[in-house]
Amino acid sequence: MNFLKRIPGPFLLLVLVIVARYLFPNKMTFIVEIMMFSIYIMGNDILYGYMGMVSFGQPFYLGVGAYTAALYLAYLGHDPLVAMLLAIVSGAVVALILGPIYIRLRGDYFALINAATCAIGLFLVEKPLLKITRGDDGLWYRTRMQPEWFFDLRQPAQFFWFAVIILAIVLFLYRWLDRSALGAAFRGIKVNEGKMKFLGYNTFALRWIGYGFACILAALSGSLYAINFGFVNPSITEPGRAAEALVATLLGGAGTVYGAFFGTVAFLGIKDLVSTFFTRWEFAVGVLTMLVCFFLSKGVWGFLNELIEKKKRKASPV
Amino acid sequence: MTQEMLVNAIVYGMGNSGILFLVAIGISIGFGLMRIVNMEQMVYYTFGAYFTYTMVSSTGSFLLALVVGTLVAAFLGFLVEIQLLRRVYGKELMFTMVVTFSVFLIGIGIIQFVWGLASKPVSAPIHAMIPILGASVPLYRLVIFAISILVYILINLFLNKTIFGKAIRAGIENPYQVQGLGINIRRIFTITFVVASGLAGFGGVLNAPLVGVAPYMGFDMLLFAFTTVILGGLGSIKGTFVSALILGQVMSVGSAIYSPLSSLGPFVVMLGVILFRPAGLFGIKGRAFGFEE
Repeated sequence: MNFLKRIPGPFLLLVLVIVARYLFPNKMTFIVEIMMFSIYIMGNDILYGYMGMVSFGQPFYLGVGAYTAALYLAYLGHDPLVAMLLAIVSGAVVALILGPIYIRLRGDYFALINAATCAIGLFLVEKPLLKITRGDDGLWYRTRMQPEWFFDLRQPAQFFWFAVIILAIVLFLYRWLDRSALGAAFRGIKVNEGKMKFLGYNTFALRWIGYGFACILAALSGSLYAINFGFVNPSITEPGRAAEALVATLLGGAGTVYGAFFGTVAFLGIKDLVSTFFTRWEFAVGVLTMLVCFFLSKGVWGFLNELIEKKKRKASPV
Repeated sequence: MTQEMLVNAIVYGMGNSGILFLVAIGISIGFGLMRIVNMEQMVYYTFGAYFTYTMVSSTGSFLLALVVGTLVAAFLGFLVEIQLLRRVYGKELMFTMVVTFSVFLIGIGIIQFVWGLASKPVSAPIHAMIPILGASVPLYRLVIFAISILVYILINLFLNKTIFGKAIRAGIENPYQVQGLGINIRRIFTITFVVASGLAGFGGVLNAPLVGVAPYMGFDMLLFAFTTVILGGLGSIKGTFVSALILGQVMSVGSAIYSPLSSLGPFVVMLGVILFRPAGLFGIKGRAFGFEE
């Protein structure tokens, strides 16, 4: 097992994804969804796992990215990469504008005001902007997308590799964040914000940065969804889906680098299994959340970590 | 806008305010006393509305529905409190929010399973229209408003005049101190919670004829209820009442001016107020949970 430690963790994850793709070729859309969703969950994990802020409005930021990309592709241009960059910029802009208002609020207020934002977003897309977004019918623009010089993103097999590259970039940046002083400062905010202030940290700015990362990652994930599906409709920003992000974060183990990925795998896997038995997801997601909250508080990744620790202790008796 | 339209809009707004107050008061008290955010309060509201549908369509008596709906909601609240919430008191706020939200999702799932997905109509018990200032307005909305004012007065009397109410108020100040005085704070929690969920169910019964009874009715109401509570300040009963009065009018008079305001207006007002008073209108800075400094 020693040689495994030398290889950076993200590589192992990516190899896992690629192996899974060739082992189960007919599950490729599912694997692509895992990659897109896990980027979204990583964003939420910065908020919840690192800084201890619960947001019930993450679908809003997902929707911002998805609609930015979709509107660009449907009306202005043909290049998916530009759409993705625009989505990232839109996430950053949203964080810049809403950040100062929301970051001042702590805990419950922050969670609820995000839920309200999400409701406003859904409403804006469905009613006042109906002429641009076509409301519930959704925007369709797959035929307008043009191939890049290296990838044709309209083809699922090539989009898979594109998603792998994006996930690789995000994972390495995320691991860097986790090990940097910034990540430590985020954790400090979660543990004791008063003390962080006392030590001279500008916790407002730190929260703002973390919130910005969360927005950008959610927007990036939203744009990937938009590019992959070739259409967008308001169901992507439904406030009811806010629970999904939280459950997946909790399920994986909050505040770890790979927790978000494993949480996504577990959550989407369970959802996929359950949906073959039940048609409605609410009941299943509710029960699942409850079970995770009470019995698996450290998540799948935390659980695995504990197992490894136990084995180590057994192997070297003190 | 004509005078007739304005009068009509204000009366509709009063009806909205009454419902908002009834469903939001439980969240506000629950936060003040038990320090948890009751995301699942709207389950009782939805169940109240569904039992109204069942009772009205089977027996035809709205009064019976009122009693049954309220009692069922209170009983559900009792079950949830003793079985679940007792395990989460004192845990971090995020945890309680996620747990209660999952209760809410489970409730929606059960409702979809029992009553199906389609929206159900309930006919109003009072169809009378009364003339006010040249406009004829529905009496039922005024009755709802009157009931909610009555509830507000009763809650205030209960909290200020009875020894039990005083214990609750002391518990809002400091639950540990109250327990130290030999008062069973757990029982106070349970009773408060049962009353709160009963009120939410009561609001659901009263609102059932005004909106269609549908599985997701609680979700829309949850956002409005939380907007009401945040605007008023978490934990403040007076704040909840005042903000319910404001938001009810924003919804109805606002929609008479520009129709999207009916669902967008409350959020805009809340954002505007939060910008300048982060603790809400009557929230106390420093005491409200989110604000440590």
